[in-house]
Amino acid sequence: MNEQARKARDIITGYKGRPLRIMEVCGTHTHEIFRLGLRKLLPDNVELISGPGCPVCVTPVGFIDEAIWLALEKGCIITTFGDLIRVPGTEMPLAGARAKGAQVRPVYSPLDAVDMARENPDEQIVFLAVGFETTTPSACLAVETAKKEGLKNFSLLTANKTMPNAYKALEGSADAFLYPGHVNAIAGNKVCEELKERGVSGVVAGFTASELLIAIAVILKNAEKGEPFFVNCYPRVVKDEGNPSAQKLIAKVMETCDTEWRGLGVIPMSGMKLRDEYAEFDARLKYDMPKITGKPNPACRCGEVLQGKCKPSDCKVFGKVCTPEHPVGACMVSDEGACAAYYQYGENL
Amino acid sequence: MSEKTVTLAHGAGGKQTSELIDQVFKAHFSNPKFTADDAAVLDIGEGRLAMSTDGFIVSPFEFNGGNIGKLSICGTVNDLACMGAKPLYLTCAFVIEEGFPMDKLEEIAAAMEKTAAEAGVVIVAGDTKVAGKGQVDKVFITTTGVGRIMDNAHTSGAFAKPGDAVIVTGDIGRHGCTILLARDEFGIDAEVDSDCAPLWGTVESLYSVTDDIHTIRDATRGGVGTVLYEIAEQSKVGVRLNTADIPVDPAVKGVCGMLGLEPLYLACEGRLVIIAPGDKAPALVEKLREGKYSKNAAIIGEITAENAGRVVMETEIGAQTMLPQPGGELLPRIC
Amino acid sequence: MCVGLSAKVVSVKDGTALIDANGARREVSADILEELEPGDYVMVHAGVAIAKITESDEDEAVDVMENFI
Repeated sequence: MNEQARKARDIITGYKGRPLRIMEVCGTHTHEIFRLGLRKLLPDNVELISGPGCPVCVTPVGFIDEAIWLALEKGCIITTFGDLIRVPGTEMPLAGARAKGAQVRPVYSPLDAVDMARENPDEQIVFLAVGFETTTPSACLAVETAKKEGLKNFSLLTANKTMPNAYKALEGSADAFLYPGHVNAIAGNKVCEELKERGVSGVVAGFTASELLIAIAVILKNAEKGEPFFVNCYPRVVKDEGNPSAQKLIAKVMETCDTEWRGLGVIPMSGMKLRDEYAEFDARLKYDMPKITGKPNPACRCGEVLQGKCKPSDCKVFGKVCTPEHPVGACMVSDEGACAAYYQYGENL
Repeated sequence: MSEKTVTLAHGAGGKQTSELIDQVFKAHFSNPKFTADDAAVLDIGEGRLAMSTDGFIVSPFEFNGGNIGKLSICGTVNDLACMGAKPLYLTCAFVIEEGFPMDKLEEIAAAMEKTAAEAGVVIVAGDTKVAGKGQVDKVFITTTGVGRIMDNAHTSGAFAKPGDAVIVTGDIGRHGCTILLARDEFGIDAEVDSDCAPLWGTVESLYSVTDDIHTIRDATRGGVGTVLYEIAEQSKVGVRLNTADIPVDPAVKGVCGMLGLEPLYLACEGRLVIIAPGDKAPALVEKLREGKYSKNAAIIGEITAENAGRVVMETEIGAQTMLPQPGGELLPRIC
Repeated sequence: MCVGLSAKVVSVKDGTALIDANGARREVSADILEELEPGDYVMVHAGVAIAKITESDEDEAVDVMENFI
């Protein structure tokens, strides 16, 4: 720990101001906060709650069902970030479909899925495009590459999401947001500045121990002053304007749409889909997919967990029926999920 | 024999089976105990015996630092060594896919010969089956071994006690990382080789320091993290790790960083976790560091009475957190 | 939500950068960053370099602590 981090830690452990609820809205923040044991340093009057920032956790049941339909009914090879493989669909996760013969391959990047399409011209490759502003450029690059090369056997099943309207949906859930550093690296800080104008406070945070400690210390110090605030605590990565080339690329390939968030329902204009010019790469259109609506397990309270309305341990199935080996809700699947993190890192240590 | 491959006829029990055995296996496994009779006849002598069996299906079957042959000897020899048993005899059973290159089989047998010699173990019986194309993935090997337990050795996963130190015999996760890279599924390059090694000599050296060793485990599938959870469970104790003290090769760290993996869950095939009284630990580590396969040995934590059944980590910010329980398939976390 | 990896750029060619993180190397897309050069540090996510960054978080720590605390 460097000197600055130590100073920040002292500010956190010595905080005596009014009670504060801070919401992190990035799954990697959740993960790192648990990995570092950061919650254990917090005084009683500061609470960190895990919001809807893990793309796996907010991906609805129906999306998994759609992917399984493509794999089993259409014989497509499903390529995906590894986290999605164990997420429960209505009847089974992708791992279950794999046992029934579906081809499911984890990839590091959607660009690897394009490579796979190029190398296997007789196979149909579908990439499961989940993720927020950070991840969307990689999916757009994949589509652009496939289009440029004239590949006919690559498509996306999109569930890309954007944060601005989610923040609006979450207003009032917390006193301050820990904004997701890598989303802002792409999208810039404009939305956060606007939120500040509307009275919503927050800071952009990085992911190292020192960056997280300092970001939380900055929240505590500024909260004492009582005015809404926004601070970029991650300037080595995040510029106010974000990454303009990435923004341009996204705008060229995709457009906003309404989309369903697991547990939060449909949030208007919070999703991204391929523009008409790229329709041939849209798996739903390409395979003439019927409307598939998933049925989530009614006992699961992932939705409330994501909004900070309840803790994972308040859910009846948590830790009993729902465990990382047999997840019921998506928050238990990804290591980033609030429930998995609570379960695995032992919140009651 | 570069063009030759294993055929179903090699597994049919006739002349070609004899040829395969003569050319490949006898050439490498020949010893007075390995006869043409139905079973090996062994003079075991007095004392307690340890016996273990293990199946190997690694894909790919060759990797940086070894192949499935070396692995199949190390795996069983190390299981015996963990009980304080000097490995004596080994049997091996092959299931080979039709079409497998004969020269590769030869390389595997040669690696087994070399590793067995180093471990001081004698291969006394073997079996070969050939399965049709696609029925197995290239080659599977099962080895079974017996060893004589030293009179002064009494180890078990149930013997860990509060106040004991947790020692690892080297940097962790290299084998798992090597296999991950060898599969080339994620386009990552790194200079990492498997830690696969026979560890009887390493165990023997411990007993030159003290007999007071409570637990020895080889951290294979599931890695050091899984082994520690098993020990915590079996001994009903807690394990406290100091994150900063766990030796990890920088390249392994780099690969894990790319894929969001935890080195504590990557397999090792030549690393032991040793639990011994805290006051004996420094001398044990000093001794280990003289050894060929344990130069980076380190004390990484201690056994505690509190947090029974759990593995807790002391983190870089001076807080404590639980090591997530291993579970399910190891999937790269990217998103 | 997004695992980022900070890495050093080894070489750049035709919109692709070879990056190195502690000796682990991979090719990533350099399409959405302008004027990337060997020796630069980048944040990588899902096979794409998304931002140019500084090597360590230390200067930033001093800067943020001095200005906002």
